[in-house]
Amino acid sequence: MYGWFDIQNFPVLSFNKIKVIVKKDNNFYRYIREGDEKVEKIIVTKSCNLVINPIEPVNLPKNLTNFLYIELENPVFSEPKSSTDVYLTFPIEIGVFLAMKKSFEVLDIFSLQKQKYTLYGNPRTGIICRYWRSDVYSKIPELDPIRNGVLKLKIVNNSDEWVEIKRIVLDVYGMKIYYNESLVFSSALMNIVSRNVAETFFLDESFRDMNKSIELYVARRIPTMKKKFVMEWGL
Amino acid sequence: MNILSQKVYGDVTVYDLIVVLAVMAIATVIAKVVTTNIRRVLIDKMRRDQLELMLKIVYYGIILFAFIGILPILGLELSGLLVAGGIVGIVIGFASQSVISNLISGIFLVSEKPIKIGDQVCVDGITGFVEDIHILSTIIRTYDGLYVRIPNEKVFTSSITNYVANVARRFEYVIGISYRDDAERAIEIIRKILDDHPFVLKNPEPQIFVKDLGESSVNIAVRIWAPSLVWYDVKMELLWKIKKELESNGIEIPFPQRTIWFANELKLKN
Repeated sequence: MYGWFDIQNFPVLSFNKIKVIVKKDNNFYRYIREGDEKVEKIIVTKSCNLVINPIEPVNLPKNLTNFLYIELENPVFSEPKSSTDVYLTFPIEIGVFLAMKKSFEVLDIFSLQKQKYTLYGNPRTGIICRYWRSDVYSKIPELDPIRNGVLKLKIVNNSDEWVEIKRIVLDVYGMKIYYNESLVFSSALMNIVSRNVAETFFLDESFRDMNKSIELYVARRIPTMKKKFVMEWGL
Repeated sequence: MNILSQKVYGDVTVYDLIVVLAVMAIATVIAKVVTTNIRRVLIDKMRRDQLELMLKIVYYGIILFAFIGILPILGLELSGLLVAGGIVGIVIGFASQSVISNLISGIFLVSEKPIKIGDQVCVDGITGFVEDIHILSTIIRTYDGLYVRIPNEKVFTSSITNYVANVARRFEYVIGISYRDDAERAIEIIRKILDDHPFVLKNPEPQIFVKDLGESSVNIAVRIWAPSLVWYDVKMELLWKIKKELESNGIEIPFPQRTIWFANELKLKN
């Protein structure tokens, strides 16, 4: 499913109704994705790897933002001066990369999830975000790893009051995604400053048997610092 | 006497002038090379308007640096220039009021940033994309591909509509359905289409309601918020989709019609 594949021995991969095929055609290879729509691209190479892994879920149908907005199905009430871990879900977008030594190029991106966007804040100073609605779990839920990832969210309430959390907004430029056969995993921290303000950022955390995804912003060579986002228009 | 050592004015010789021209030419070439390389390295990594501004500062900075360097060769001292500058400034000020006014407006435009390169704007009735903001003028590429140069003074004093300054914007359709059809069912169908479209924003929520009872139809208003960068694509796409979906569900979008009652019975020929 996910992983590194030699282009010369690329198996036919199925992601539910989507099929990914690579065919040799004389001097080059044809990459074909079949599903609701058909995508065909030509790869001119003697030998390289194709990497297929989950990427930051903000690219489809068009990259307009680098923020992910997760609305909680049930609000979470956090007690003053406390810290707790909860598990949420996030949508999976699958990236196909061409890889040779340390050079990566994005070949294709697809998803089995429906996309939806929303506005966080007001139209003047707010931000457009990829919208997602998630249940809140107390332990890692069992999910289809080609559709949903698990986000471990550490909620740290530094304020002196009870805080109700209905949503979390994250800047995906710092997102680290890990995967194995049964799980796609990422981790983030929400540092609550007051009833309406929190700082959020992704953490680099995984389990021992998991592989690290190639992130899109690395492949596109966008230099990024550790990205923190301040949620100032309500939690 | 060698022509190169011939004096042009004061102690400045033809040779000095050639040196000055050569230095300025080399400075211009260096400025071009440096800005081209900066552009190549940073084009993927910076916003275009910020990159263009930085490139201009670097380009004119190098040329200004070279110009200040060659002033002594021309027999001009910087301190002397500053004294003369006051008088020359007044003269230039009177002689080139509009140029200075455009220049100052350009500086304010860059600092206030009502528009940026790449924005879709309407300035003084001209609508299109901002191609460039020069020191004296702003270049607009209209939607039909025309090049329009607007002096910065005009840009600064005109009312400016920036269509993409805010991240989201709203648009509206009014869809008439026949009096026979169920408006609630039509609203439900329209809401489903909007829910399925990725760029119809979840929040602010779309509004769908019966706006008025028209002469020939029940008019349903559909108000949609979309990201400013794609709002026109969304607007173009959705209306036809709504029309097709309503019709495929048996909801009629009626032509204007009028029922006429005649006072006397009509005598119709076969």
